[in-house]
Amino acid sequence: MFARALARFRGPNPLNLLEQQGRRTIATATTVNADEIAHFSKLSEHWWDEQGEFKMLHRMNPVRVQFIRDRVVRTRQDEGMPDATDLRGLNALDIGCGGGLLSESLARLGANTLAIDASEANIRIATAHSSQDPLFNASSSVAHKTLAYRHATSHDLVEEGKQFDLVCSLEVIEHVDNPAGFLESCAALVKPGGHLVLSTIARTPLAYFMTIFMAERVLGIVTPGTHSYSKYVNASELLEFFRTRIPWLPKGPADPPSHLAELRGMIYYPLSGNWGLLPRGAPLALDCNYIFWLRKPV
Amino acid sequence: MFRESFLRPTEPACAVAIESKRAIYTFNLTSVNAPDASSTRNGLYSQTYASTASVQDYDVVIVGGGPVGLALACALVSPLRRDSSLRVALIEASDLSAVRKWQPEGDSFSNRVSSITNASREFLQGIGAWDLVDESRTMAIEEMQVWDGVSDARIEFGEATLPSGRGLEMARLTENLNLQRALLRRLDNLSSPTFTILDKTKVSSIVPDTERSTWPVVHLHPSQSSGVAHQAPERREQTSPLPLRARLLVGADGPSSPVRAFSKIETYGWSYDARAIVATMVHDGNLLTSFGTPRNTTTAYQRFLPTGPIAFLPLSTTRASLVWSTTPELAQALLDAGDDVLARMVNAAFRLPDLSMRYLHQFILDRWHAAVPEVVGADGKMSKKGYLGVDEIEGEIRWRERAHSIDASSALSSLPDATTRTSSGMIPSADAEFYPPLVGHIQARSAASFPLRMAHAERYLGQGVRTALIGDAAHTTHPLAGQGLNLGLGDCQSLANAIHTAHSLGQDVGSFTALESYPRQRYLVNHGMLSAVDKLKKLYGTRNGPIVWARSVGLETINELDGLKRMFMGVAGADGDADRVVRRRTPDRDIGRSENREGISTASAEAASGHSSLGNREEVVSRLESTSHGVPTWAGMLASAVEGVAGMVDVGTRILRQRF
Ligand SMILES: Cc1cc2nc3c(=O)[nH]c(=O)nc-3n(C[C@H](O)[C@H](O)[C@H](O)COP(=O)(O)OP(=O)(O)OC[C@H]3O[C@@H](n4cnc5c(N)ncnc54)[C@H](O)[C@@H]3O)c2cc1C
Repeated sequence: MFARALARFRGPNPLNLLEQQGRRTIATATTVNADEIAHFSKLSEHWWDEQGEFKMLHRMNPVRVQFIRDRVVRTRQDEGMPDATDLRGLNALDIGCGGGLLSESLARLGANTLAIDASEANIRIATAHSSQDPLFNASSSVAHKTLAYRHATSHDLVEEGKQFDLVCSLEVIEHVDNPAGFLESCAALVKPGGHLVLSTIARTPLAYFMTIFMAERVLGIVTPGTHSYSKYVNASELLEFFRTRIPWLPKGPADPPSHLAELRGMIYYPLSGNWGLLPRGAPLALDCNYIFWLRKPV
Repeated sequence: MFRESFLRPTEPACAVAIESKRAIYTFNLTSVNAPDASSTRNGLYSQTYASTASVQDYDVVIVGGGPVGLALACALVSPLRRDSSLRVALIEASDLSAVRKWQPEGDSFSNRVSSITNASREFLQGIGAWDLVDESRTMAIEEMQVWDGVSDARIEFGEATLPSGRGLEMARLTENLNLQRALLRRLDNLSSPTFTILDKTKVSSIVPDTERSTWPVVHLHPSQSSGVAHQAPERREQTSPLPLRARLLVGADGPSSPVRAFSKIETYGWSYDARAIVATMVHDGNLLTSFGTPRNTTTAYQRFLPTGPIAFLPLSTTRASLVWSTTPELAQALLDAGDDVLARMVNAAFRLPDLSMRYLHQFILDRWHAAVPEVVGADGKMSKKGYLGVDEIEGEIRWRERAHSIDASSALSSLPDATTRTSSGMIPSADAEFYPPLVGHIQARSAASFPLRMAHAERYLGQGVRTALIGDAAHTTHPLAGQGLNLGLGDCQSLANAIHTAHSLGQDVGSFTALESYPRQRYLVNHGMLSAVDKLKKLYGTRNGPIVWARSVGLETINELDGLKRMFMGVAGADGDADRVVRRRTPDRDIGRSENREGISTASAEAASGHSSLGNREEVVSRLESTSHGVPTWAGMLASAVEGVAGMVDVGTRILRQRF
């Protein structure tokens, strides 16, 4: 019985499912889920309420930014920029930017940032918020960082032939239809030698307990319906995807070398009220929230 | 167009006021012909739009150039990576050039002195300011003598018998001006293009920004500081400086903080109905121990009288700072009586039994009430200055000493013949070191008094208004533990860390999430200190028999049990080396102080078991908080002891209830 319950929790791999249903090509695939857009549009005015609906995301943001900054800075230092400390001069794309929590941070760290979202309400909120900040408001005397928002999908940009040094799509895959097609569009937007950063939630009993049972139902810190368990993607599935379907990583069961990719679990510490990265290889590290960085081969 | 949905419900009403504010900005713009120095340095104002040229943008605006505000500025203005520095402005009402130019004579000391703990000093070293403090004007405290004014129960901290012959420094007495000058010098040396000081400038109002409802805009006007006005009236700008728009507005603006008022943060607390007399005391430094060796001048003394504690804090071999908390009436009477009477009374207050001190206080108050005020000075001010002669008070003290059979060779005698006795090189009695050196006189114009209150802001971060409070703007405490400034410096360190971390991660340093670690690290620590000090103050404010007994047993017990003392020192966050700070008292020196040693040791066993559980609990709290500024050494320890003995309720639960 226990085994059956576990099997139920394991569920089918969302990245394979669609493949089996018959391949759609990137160009025609639409990955945007209308219900998800409606859901987030409804919540959009809460994006910047640090004590409200997106409190957890606000607290998670510094850890995600640190992970991204450190990976990118390390590669820059290894590749001829020994003094690099931030994202200065890079072109960055934030796919599914929501209210712009990550987008603003990337721009503050010096990246020329374009942020897109399929929800027009999100884009409005994000634009309104960033224009309050003199750093981004062209009419202020101290403005010197570039941040632009567009109501667009990743497919729109692929069609336009755009490519970026850094493409981020955090906490998005679990909200799209056809995640495989979505990942292909993300990958297509990365310049050769560029960085792709993804984060999502694993499809495990632990993740179900934390993100749906506790967060949505018991504690009520997230609006019910925000997460759909069956859309969660396991780290191993993501790795496999980038070994076979998009062959950026060497094949085989071994962990990818650290200069090409890194997978890290993220955990919330309720006592100190912040998120942290779990050590590499910690037990259950990749069983809930995790973040994934990898490079596109040149 | 979609901004409406963004406004909080209360805000539409502000719109009109905001519009008129804009009109004021525009007016300012036309009346100020040259932008001020800070903005031209960046060369940014020349090509900006009128609407934004009327405010200056800063990442952090600090209101208040006291020691805490200046320390925060130092911590934020980094000498490294200037290109990505935060833009920081500091506003101070007074003229800071007076602090910059402060050049006191070698043996005269300012009356505002703080004991800087080792943790605070490390922080100041880290921000490059301590090296600019004139250390020759500071004094290490290596030993403390603290005793009960009613029972004479005593506790000692410190190690005077290390093999090296040097004690371990517990804190360093430093004039506030010495520290402020060092901080200013540090900021001047950094000469950062992204940092601006606006002194002689007062905050006149703080309003939310026009469109950006959560961004505060600080309006300024020149303060009428008389000191410079007559020197160069033409240089004093008559126009107000441009308003500053702040990503983060920090209130380091003291007890009546305008930033706190803008943030709508309540404080709770109470006035102690007490004032602290401060003064610089002069004594003959040529003192000997009972062994005939030169006496340590690095000892601080504090006696808890029921009217309030009196402290002797050494500044040099012949100078010391007085902090004497007492009733407001008595403080005024002592100050009116003049420096010589004050000096005699200070000596008596460290030595005479409580009964006699009560008598002397009453004597002074009676004379003061009976005195007729006279006109003093040209401005027609009334004063009772000089209503009491030195010989009169000496006569009273002599009489009290005789009543207690204190003869001139006793350490308890404080009369002039006693002064000559000690300075003539005679070997003093064995207990001489229990009492501070006899004060000869008070440095001219150094005596003053300050009101005392305990207050704690209910929050350190404004909600949705981009503000934070530090230092006395967030909390004030009784000076008996000498912690006010140290708590403020701890705040600085924590807030600066939060700001630096957030900035390096591209976070908005004015956002609540970015700053949350600051109250998390500091609120409970500060609250613990404030309430411990508050309890000490109250506990020692009574003559009630059982309470005096309990507190005395507590003190003596801790003093005797090194293990326990060490544990408290550890809990209290002393430098890892608590062992060396705690000295075991030699039994023969106890003679004459605690008559009933049997009674005390039985009681001590009970007290000890009570303490250990308390100690563990506090240890957990302090581990949990794990900040670099733990509850400081002796005060925290004393408070813990007193708390255990008096059976007071758990601080923790009360704090938690009040906080959350
Ligand atoms: C008698 C006594 C003894 C003490 N002894 C000790 C001790 O031994 N150890 C210790 O650690 N602490 C001690 N303290 C406490 C210590 O002095 C204070 O905690 C410390 O000075 C607080 O510094 P601060 O910078 O927070 O505030 P403050 O020093 O009060 O500075 C606030 C500044 O803000 C400015 N300001 C206020 N409003 C405005 C405005 N609207 N516009 C512009 N500027 C404004 C003021 O001009 C002032 O310079 C003692 C205090 C007293 C009263």
